[in-house]
Amino acid sequence: MNSVAATNGILLFLPKTFDIVWSLIILAIVAAFFYKFFLPKFQAVFDERASKIEGGIENAKKAQQQADEARRKYDDQLSTARVEASKIRDDARAEASHIIADARARADAEASQITASAQRSIDSQHKQALVKLRGEVGTLAAALAGKILGSKLQDDAVQSQMVDGLLDELSDDRQ
Amino acid sequence: MVGVAGMNMLVAAHSGPDLPTVDDFLPPEILFQGTPFAINRIILIRIVATLIMLLVLGITAMRVKLIPGRWQAAIEWLLDFVRDNIVYQVMGKLRGQRYIPMITTIFLTILVFNLCGIIPGMNMAATATITMPLVFALWCLCQYWIAGIREKGLGRFLKDELFPKGVPIPIYILLTPIQLLELLIIRPVSLTIRLFANMLSGHIMVALCLAATQWFMIDTANKLWIPVGAMTFVAGFAMTLFEAFVAALQAFIFAILTTAYINMSYPESD
Repeated sequence: MNSVAATNGILLFLPKTFDIVWSLIILAIVAAFFYKFFLPKFQAVFDERASKIEGGIENAKKAQQQADEARRKYDDQLSTARVEASKIRDDARAEASHIIADARARADAEASQITASAQRSIDSQHKQALVKLRGEVGTLAAALAGKILGSKLQDDAVQSQMVDGLLDELSDDRQ
Repeated sequence: MVGVAGMNMLVAAHSGPDLPTVDDFLPPEILFQGTPFAINRIILIRIVATLIMLLVLGITAMRVKLIPGRWQAAIEWLLDFVRDNIVYQVMGKLRGQRYIPMITTIFLTILVFNLCGIIPGMNMAATATITMPLVFALWCLCQYWIAGIREKGLGRFLKDELFPKGVPIPIYILLTPIQLLELLIIRPVSLTIRLFANMLSGHIMVALCLAATQWFMIDTANKLWIPVGAMTFVAGFAMTLFEAFVAALQAFIFAILTTAYINMSYPESD
């Protein structure tokens, strides 16, 4: 066995014609398969996948952008609304105080008017009463005087006292 | 040249175990004897392996989908591995693009051919003759010459390769022939022999263990040898697994060295 192996050993390293032929044929077939069919197919899928992923990322970016924009718009609107609301509130408050002030002024005016007219009517009634009283006092005094004179004029002292008193009263009234 | 047909263990009438010999790698021609298209056992294995590979990968490629299934994902992992971990790692993206198909072809084909060594029924790597690795190595040789001539022009390519910069002039007397030898012979031959010898030794180791197992456990009348047979079986099992690893490793080494050799032909400052 050993001698056979020794003689054959070098043969292992000597390519045989048919081996070369078959190796080349197989290499050519395999290379053609990989170059022309297998790898292009996979490359196409890899490319498609990459573009899909890129497209997805792009879409996500776009959506993000839109969301940001919407958010900004919303924020803007919110802040303007807030400003407007506070302005409206201030206006309302100002108007309310205005209205209150107006109402107060009007009420004051009315009250003073009422007071004044009441005062006036009291004055006029007072005057009327005074005038009326003056007229009636004369009559009353005359009647009283008649009555007194009728019953008690016999006494001179009483008589003169009464006349004096009457005259005093009259003069007091006149003042 | 009488083929012993490696693992033919049905014959038990020998006086010793049916040990593997170099004749396993020089099997008799079984078809088209004497013509340039003669086919022996190893070439038959090679043809069958090629057909199976083309069939399986062809169907995979035809059914290739955007969202991969398990099998497609596994194949894609292999393709990504070749592209990223071999080609781009060594050459970078810019140069590497052009060589992806070549390196993929070399890696996958050698991987499949090597694995034939542990497939039951084949039991012999399709790369286990000198010629198949040699053909791959010559392809590599052509590619790095072409790359050098294309990128630098023949003159500058040879000048860069044969007269490396920064070496004292007298050294060139020694260095230039070595560089020429390296460029023309050593690179392809080392690629070839590394792969071939690995497949050869792997086959011999596995066959040795299993032939011994056959001999000690079955063929020998003395039953006391059975434990030894069990040990050789375990060793054969381990060697088979090791061969699977070596098959992948040698495919990887062949592919990465091919890439590196081609890359060396490119200008340094690029």
